[in-house]
Amino acid sequence: MIQVEHLSKTYGSTSAIQDVTFEVEKGEILGFLGPNGAGKTTTMRILTGYLPATSGTAKIAGFDVHEDSLAVRKRIGYLPETPPLYPEMTVEDFLHFVARIKGVSAGDRPLRVTLALKRCNLLDKRKVLIRKLSKGFRQRVGIAQAIVHDPPAIILDEPTVGLDPRQIIDVRNLIKSLAGEHTIILSTHILPEVSMTCSRVAIINRGQVVATNTPDQLMAQLNSGLGYELEVEGNAEALAQHLRNLAGIQSVQVSGADLSDGLPENRRKLSIALSSSSDDLGRQIAATVVRGGLGLYEMKRSRVSLEDVFLDLTTEEKPLEVEPEAEPPSSELSGGED
Amino acid sequence: MGIIAANIIAIYRRELQSYFSSPASYVIAGTFWLLSGLCLFFILLSPSSLISQVAARDQMGITTPPVDVAYEFLNVFLGAVGNIALFVLPMLSMGLYTEERKRGTLELLATSPITNWAVAVGKLLGVLTFFIAMILPLLIYEAIVLGASNPPIQPTTMLLGHGGLVLMAGAILSLGMFLSSITSSTGLAAMLTYALNFFLWVVDYIAQGVGGSIGAALSHLALLKNFTNFTQGIFDTSSIVLFLSYVVLGLFLTAQSIEAFRFQRS
Repeated sequence: MIQVEHLSKTYGSTSAIQDVTFEVEKGEILGFLGPNGAGKTTTMRILTGYLPATSGTAKIAGFDVHEDSLAVRKRIGYLPETPPLYPEMTVEDFLHFVARIKGVSAGDRPLRVTLALKRCNLLDKRKVLIRKLSKGFRQRVGIAQAIVHDPPAIILDEPTVGLDPRQIIDVRNLIKSLAGEHTIILSTHILPEVSMTCSRVAIINRGQVVATNTPDQLMAQLNSGLGYELEVEGNAEALAQHLRNLAGIQSVQVSGADLSDGLPENRRKLSIALSSSSDDLGRQIAATVVRGGLGLYEMKRSRVSLEDVFLDLTTEEKPLEVEPEAEPPSSELSGGED
Repeated sequence: MGIIAANIIAIYRRELQSYFSSPASYVIAGTFWLLSGLCLFFILLSPSSLISQVAARDQMGITTPPVDVAYEFLNVFLGAVGNIALFVLPMLSMGLYTEERKRGTLELLATSPITNWAVAVGKLLGVLTFFIAMILPLLIYEAIVLGASNPPIQPTTMLLGHGGLVLMAGAILSLGMFLSSITSSTGLAAMLTYALNFFLWVVDYIAQGVGGSIGAALSHLALLKNFTNFTQGIFDTSSIVLFLSYVVLGLFLTAQSIEAFRFQRS
């Protein structure tokens, strides 16, 4: 549905995105994850035809976003970072206006507008001036304008930014309900959002896509250091010794001896790191605990959250960036002395 | 073709709605009515006014050449309204694109299947319609004054005078729209439009100073000189062509600048 190939965009000498390539299948929700300034908005603006790319191609429903801009614009709904709203219009008038400029035929317009209002839970606000709406409702109107013409592709730039937790849940549910019949790209720098709403993630950092996968697989990719955490009663040191002998266990650490973490006197915590994610040793660990005659109070997988994945992927490159920044002034200085 | 027309109408209706629902535009209209009402008052009643001059002439027994008071009145009054319009119109055009930019709605328009031309034409028609709504009450002033005139004023004079006013407004609004499309500051857009108006206002004097063929060419650009043709009831094709050229130029530059803006912006 959406194909992006080797997309690059430079402003003067600074490059906003480089060689961005990804694909979104029909009905999928792709989460575009990256810190502020990573190039998410630039990529989305190229996809919507708002900005031209310096090189590379992007196609939506088979139409090139630059060559067939009008055909693409007919098929997309776009919510920019700040919802594009006319405060002096009522919600309903505004949606009618958007439906009109998106080319919805006069006969279909009332139905499409009502459907969009219904989907975004705006029916009781339809006659209210947008100026009088709260931020959360404005965001919903922003989403409503992106779906009012029933576009096959929907592009949402930071759809939950600035909303309160309840509104965030509403908006996420709304986005999820749109998948299937619509193909959705949403950008965010809020990590849990991606694992909650998206079927696939593209992580972008400094203008480059550094990973594309499903949220689960992306975590699995980094699960090499995955482990378990136990809380046991009894001889924890002996248990740790036994566990270390199991194949596939990298290390076992015992804590809680100093009572600083509030554990009862004879309980200890064990953190177990597995050396590979291929074998899940949970069953054997539990069996070892039971065989050793220890009491098991807690056993949980220390799952790497997407947040960790993200940090892992994006912090890696930071030192590289710092060095060239620090160097030029010194080389200039030495050049001057020469 | 039908789609483009539908798009233009959509933009036009939205633009018009925003003018009629904005308190600022009523303040602008109110200022316009107040100033033109004052002009009317002075033209009719001040000691140095047209009417008292004619009355003085009559008293002194001067009857030649005869003065068509109704015609002279309309000429002077529309001339004054034209000057007021130069002052008021930039306030109408200044927000045409800067507001869209501020609200981020330019991004909505740019990512909708609608051309920059259609947006510009719809906007210009919208603001021009609002201006026409602003000059409608002036017709009441004129009707009160001219209702008693004998011989009655020629309908073509009326039509040309007001048609000229609308054409000149279209020219200024179109250029003002372009100036509002190149900046994101409403105030700057207004100032640029005032500067342009001032230039087109004084260009006639500059032209007289320069003289020669350049001066003659420059004098053709003048707004008020061409507008005066209309208020005097002269049907001058070149004046119509000039105003329409300004309109088209403004539309063209607007469409181009929106496109260029999109290509550059960070």
